[in-house]
Amino acid sequence: MTKTYGLLIDYEHCTGCQSCVVSCKEEHGYPVGKWGIRVHDDGPWNIEGDKFNFNRIPIPTDLCDLCAKRAAAGREPICVHHCLANVMTYGTVSDLAEKLAGKPKQVLWVPQFKPWAAREKFVSKNEKRHRAAAIEVKAVEHFENTVHRADDRVELVDINKKADGK
Amino acid sequence: MSKVKLESLAAVNDLGKPWRYEEDGLTVTRTAVWSPPGCHPVGCGLKLYTKDNKLVRVEGDENHPVTQGRLCVRCISLKDYVYNASRITHPMKRAREHRGQADRWERCTWDEAIDIIEKNYREITGKYGRESIVLFTGTGREGGTLNPYGSMMLGSPNFCYTQSGYACYIPRLASTAYTMGVTYPEIDYAGGLPGRYEDPAFQVPEVLMIWGKAPLESNGDGFFGHAVTDLMRRGTRLIVIDPRVNWLASRADIHLRLRPGTDAALGMAMLNVIISEDLYDHDFVKYWCYGFEELTERVKTMPPEKAAEITGIPADKIVEAARMYAAGTPSSLQWGLAIDQKANGMQAGHCIVQLMAITGNIDVPGGQILSDINFGLNEVGFGIEKGVGKELMDKMVGLDKYPAYCNTILNPHADMMLLACETGDPYPIKFGFYAGNNLMSCTSAEPIRWHDALVKTLDFCFTADCFMTPSAQATCEVFLPLSAACEEDGVSFTHYSGTPVTTNFMNQAITTGECLSDIEICFKVGKRLNPHMFEEYNDYHDFIDHLRLSRRLKFEEVKKEVTIQRDVKYYKYETGDLRMDHTPGFNTPTGKVELYSTVFEQFGEDPLPYYEEPQYSPRNTPELLEKYPFVLTTGARTFAFFHSENRQVPYCRELNPDPLVEINPKVAKRLSITDGQWCEVWNQFGSAKYKAKVSEVVDENTIHCQHGWWFPEEEGSEPNLYGTFRSNVNNLVPNFHFGKLGFGAPFKCLLCNIKPIDEVLDTDMLKVWEKFKREDQ
Repeated sequence: MTKTYGLLIDYEHCTGCQSCVVSCKEEHGYPVGKWGIRVHDDGPWNIEGDKFNFNRIPIPTDLCDLCAKRAAAGREPICVHHCLANVMTYGTVSDLAEKLAGKPKQVLWVPQFKPWAAREKFVSKNEKRHRAAAIEVKAVEHFENTVHRADDRVELVDINKKADGK
Repeated sequence: MSKVKLESLAAVNDLGKPWRYEEDGLTVTRTAVWSPPGCHPVGCGLKLYTKDNKLVRVEGDENHPVTQGRLCVRCISLKDYVYNASRITHPMKRAREHRGQADRWERCTWDEAIDIIEKNYREITGKYGRESIVLFTGTGREGGTLNPYGSMMLGSPNFCYTQSGYACYIPRLASTAYTMGVTYPEIDYAGGLPGRYEDPAFQVPEVLMIWGKAPLESNGDGFFGHAVTDLMRRGTRLIVIDPRVNWLASRADIHLRLRPGTDAALGMAMLNVIISEDLYDHDFVKYWCYGFEELTERVKTMPPEKAAEITGIPADKIVEAARMYAAGTPSSLQWGLAIDQKANGMQAGHCIVQLMAITGNIDVPGGQILSDINFGLNEVGFGIEKGVGKELMDKMVGLDKYPAYCNTILNPHADMMLLACETGDPYPIKFGFYAGNNLMSCTSAEPIRWHDALVKTLDFCFTADCFMTPSAQATCEVFLPLSAACEEDGVSFTHYSGTPVTTNFMNQAITTGECLSDIEICFKVGKRLNPHMFEEYNDYHDFIDHLRLSRRLKFEEVKKEVTIQRDVKYYKYETGDLRMDHTPGFNTPTGKVELYSTVFEQFGEDPLPYYEEPQYSPRNTPELLEKYPFVLTTGARTFAFFHSENRQVPYCRELNPDPLVEINPKVAKRLSITDGQWCEVWNQFGSAKYKAKVSEVVDENTIHCQHGWWFPEEEGSEPNLYGTFRSNVNNLVPNFHFGKLGFGAPFKCLLCNIKPIDEVLDTDMLKVWEKFKREDQ
């Protein structure tokens, strides 16, 4: 089985420099409005006293191919190469999982490039299909195209009986 | 040189590759760049992949001892800068009467452009003298600090940084020079040591106090900003002093969220705590400091409780921070632009030098590293004697009133220059040149006032730049095309040479159009205007060897090294390496760190620090609060831009498409401002339009506006000038509000008001993309 690769990000130290964002666009030629990775900015918002939550977390998009061409040549993805705070690591999920256990405030991403492309063409596999029955049907004699109420067709409910719960 | 590999670098990498090599049919040139695109001289390592004189790919160079392959967005997008659809790659001319008309530029040859410059130079200097020439210099970029543009090419005493009170770097540098005898004392991040952080000579600082600085975004003065995160990951703990909850503040043990402009009060109170609680380094104070008793007396006037009232920081937090800074062994302290941007900044700077000194953190491993006597600013003064001469230097605008300012940096006083342009007093200013400056978008306070003065007084003006700017569009007759860092040979030093970290060599990989570097332009134009100044040089490489390398090295030989780490020595005050006479001590009148400054005293300034309120503030002008209830601070740095640059680079602009004003959620709610809504911010000096970013990054008393905005996608002709005056926070900043020695300006401590407006001015990123993308995109 082929190994699964991912990106481990130490978001305790991600400064939000966006080098990953722009590197990726240059590497893949993504125009304005398309990205292979984006940085989610969570904060600053006050937790208590003078302490604030302020985390910046890079999230690969559905256009991240983990720099397949570079990886094939044995090099790390370009976002990893340029990361100013040096908080990104590329590797197999099993290797990265070990590092993930080593300290808090990390996140391990396993992105998928154009996930729809990985899906096979739709083919129904459900063979339990009800077969239509061969029963003869006769025409309606007095067809009335109406939705009006007809009291003679309404089954009256004994209200008192219901309210008593009996 | 060190090759310290980052752990994240794969087994296949380019460590150990020569300065130039071939790979997969491409030529790879290793270089360590300065500018353009605009930046400070960090000398980040780049690998430039080229084919047939075209830049195909840009990657960070893992061989660089400091940057180690890491790179910021401004160089990652270098191709989009170089091949931007609006880049100007040939000289252009325009008639004087067509100033401000974007469609009247005509392409011309270099010879023709220089003919026009020479004709005007001879006529104007013949009539008004060379003092009528002004150079508008910017910040950071090589051209903005290329003093020979003034001293040699144009032979003028008026090499003028146009920011009011030179409110950037020089006040910090001057307060250090006066009291410690060196340039800016950077924190030690092992940049010059072969083993970097693991080098046996280095000590990881236990505490780093970051004061009014955004090192991550700015790479200020050549400091590689993310050295801070390198240190944090090695255990360094932070104290951050900043009105904004920036990212570093969120990671700090202590965040002192002071009211903008009150730094000197905080500094005095911290000194008070460290002295009164006996936390100072007795030996260093006894043997290497001058005036401790006087300082002790002075800071008694600023107990933490009083500073708490002034700064808005609780007294116990001031005490806690002072104790933590004093306890760190070592502690380092990084102080930024915020100190320069107030009239009282020299005193705040003096306090900071005193904090470093009395805690014994000067020139120790992991503390503050000092430049030795052979360093100093690389080019200030170069060619002055022969090219300008004493008689003409004495005519420098403002020298009579502000000698401390003018003599320290050999610049006319910015505000006095504005006045001279407006009034013709002391003499007419008639000939202008922009050296890495776009003052109508960025550098200068009251930009419309500067605009009006320059359009009226200048008979001729030219620029050298990569792109048309609002300032050049308004005032220039000749435009010279400037090369980007990948298109030129050159040298840069961390901190303009004032710190022992690295010397970096720029290696030219491509030529684009007829672009030339600042040094080549200085040489080429200078050779025509003042041939006697350049006759000793065969070519501009000779000039580089002399200017940058003092003829001790030859560029053609050393460029192959790409980066050289500079000798780091500590405790230089003990060895005699700080003084011309090579005896122990500091290069100050008393030979010691002057806690009591005899130089301040000579200039008629108080020799000890004191606190002064910002000119317009809740405490100083409470009567203004009804009209202007908020404290205005400006210019927090972004990753996307270097000052007014990069707005036409789509990938940079996309990170920050619109000019932003930061406003606290509670205030926004009260004023019916929603996130993303356009607002007007105004005060007694002017107004500007900004898009609201509603965030707790600022408190309820403070408003922050970004700086440097213009819109290259818009109409360039007058009166629009690419919209440069629409979202320009400098409209709200007055000139002539500096301190006693002429330094400082209130860019970061004014008052303002804000209200929502109906207009929607959002940038259309698709328009930016279509207009500026590369041909191959």
